Amino acid sequence: MSKKVKKVTRYGNSTKERLYLPAILEGLKITTSHLLQNLSDINSVETLEYPEEQPTDITSRYRGLHRLTHRADGTIRCVACFMCATACPAECIDIVATTRDDGVDDKMPLQFNIDTLECIFCGYCVEACPCDAIRMDTGIFSIIGKKREDFILTKDRLLSHKGVFGEEISRA
Amino acid sequence: MSSKMVEFTVNGKKLLAFEGLNLLKYLLDNGYNIPHYCYHDSLGADGNCRMCMVEIKGKKRPQIACDTLIKEGLEVNTNTPTIKRLREEILQMQLRNHPVDCPVCDKAGECYLQNYYMDYGLYKEGKHKKQKIKKSKNIEFGRNVVYDEERCILCKRCVRFFANITKTNELGVIKRANHSTISTAPNQKLQSQYAMNIVDLCPVGALLSSDFKFKQRVWFLQSSPSICHGCTKNCNITIDYSSTKFQAERIYRYKARRNEDVNGYFICDEGRLSYKEYHTNRVTQIEYKNSIIDFKEAISKIGIEIFIHKDIVILASPNLYIEELESIIKWSKKLNARLYSPLECYKDKEFADNWLKEELRVANAYGVMALEIDTSTPDISSDTLLINFDHKLAQDINTLHRIDFITHSINSQGLILPLASWVQSSRHLINSSGIKQYAPKTLVANKPILTVTEWIEAIGGDI
Repeated sequence: MSKKVKKVTRYGNSTKERLYLPAILEGLKITTSHLLQNLSDINSVETLEYPEEQPTDITSRYRGLHRLTHRADGTIRCVACFMCATACPAECIDIVATTRDDGVDDKMPLQFNIDTLECIFCGYCVEACPCDAIRMDTGIFSIIGKKREDFILTKDRLLSHKGVFGEEISRA
Repeated sequence: MSSKMVEFTVNGKKLLAFEGLNLLKYLLDNGYNIPHYCYHDSLGADGNCRMCMVEIKGKKRPQIACDTLIKEGLEVNTNTPTIKRLREEILQMQLRNHPVDCPVCDKAGECYLQNYYMDYGLYKEGKHKKQKIKKSKNIEFGRNVVYDEERCILCKRCVRFFANITKTNELGVIKRANHSTISTAPNQKLQSQYAMNIVDLCPVGALLSSDFKFKQRVWFLQSSPSICHGCTKNCNITIDYSSTKFQAERIYRYKARRNEDVNGYFICDEGRLSYKEYHTNRVTQIEYKNSIIDFKEAISKIGIEIFIHKDIVILASPNLYIEELESIIKWSKKLNARLYSPLECYKDKEFADNWLKEELRVANAYGVMALEIDTSTPDISSDTLLINFDHKLAQDINTLHRIDFITHSINSQGLILPLASWVQSSRHLINSSGIKQYAPKTLVANKPILTVTEWIEAIGGDI
């Protein structure tokens, strides 16, 4: 297998670039222009008055809180294969597997905890999942709690989350 | 195999080996990566998987290496394009009816099919999109062995284990062609005390241990070589354990480790399942008359007890290592104490057989004998101080004055001090054939527990 080699020009060797100052001044120019514009018209600054105003730009690609999907018959899609826990760079997924009790498959999670205090919302778990069992399409962007335990998403909580972009049932 | 050395060539490199040696064995032992399923060092060649094909000069077609004997002037090629194509095609055949359910298969991560697919397969998925034959899953074979027909590649390692090694012939291949499966005799379950070895032998996920099933994925496990403490045979094992962010270190299974001088390739089921002992009933805190006391208090209590008693009996467990026993001997001489290590209570005639199981169910009994420790039962009067180093006999001795260094809790009203388990220390053992073996330290408890030598040092004895 031959690799495609792309030659990239190396910048930064001309005298102008080595002086640094022109680049810095160029940056300052942009900053100053924004400052002057905002000073002249304060209403042009984009402000979201959260929580009275809610964000409107949450698209289907937004990585919100996780959810565990269901099969068409309502059973849990997850087979506790640990791919998400393996892929997770923050190691925030804690799964305990058990033999399945609903007769649909071999294996299911007895316990499936995601510690959102450690989660970095990278979405690797969603990509790693071989059966579309975990998703981040809930659109939930904030999680509140009074204790640390409140931030741990348990299996029941993950199953109760709904997908808000129309794909309720696992596609796998 | 003759004792004559012959010269032959592998991939253009000239090599020397004994004439008549199995070619595949030689290649595997010398670091050549030859895919194989049915060949196993202990079982020999069967030649049914056809995976170990090599090209031999002068032969019309590629030959299986496991059925080729080394002879003068043999010219072997292991990596020609034909061989690569053959391997891919054989893999395709094996995966034709394979369910590819790696995510739920406990063998994933140490599966030969997976490894070889990554090394030699990697063909396009479309090739196995055809309808597969459905077979049954989760067939209980008995003795903790679960069989999955769909994943089986029929290498017959398990069949040959019962035919050649245990000679009990408990498994066989039934039905024909695509419908062939491994089965016990009708309405029979496995009986062998060594049955779980077939789980180790199985190169794919067809035979699984119901004890380990779904407990942990193998890529989270760490392995450490060790020695089984079930009996004086001292079989070599691998301890598979893991510690995750959410769970302290935990042993998941023991596997047999190859050692031709001691156990060969196998271990008994009882030894294999003895990993559970490590986690159950452990002593972790210093207790005196059922209340928890701290380390300094305990040390001073030991000092007082030793000072006020003239007659001291030390019981040392024959599970302790040579070095630990030696330091106990030194300490007992300093205290002027009587040292015993009775072996009678460890005898279990029913356990013994003529292969890997031995009557004395304790690891270092022959070490105790080598160090000439008194193995008779001590007589203990009412004002004798009993210092117990994890000896089984101490449970049955009723005395008020006692200090117990124990790993697993017993019924005692005296001073109880936690002792590191054998998994948590590294020393030497002597087995029944007089072989001295080394077992490295495997686990470290979250809260460190002292070993025998560390305790004696803390109390102020010489080590």
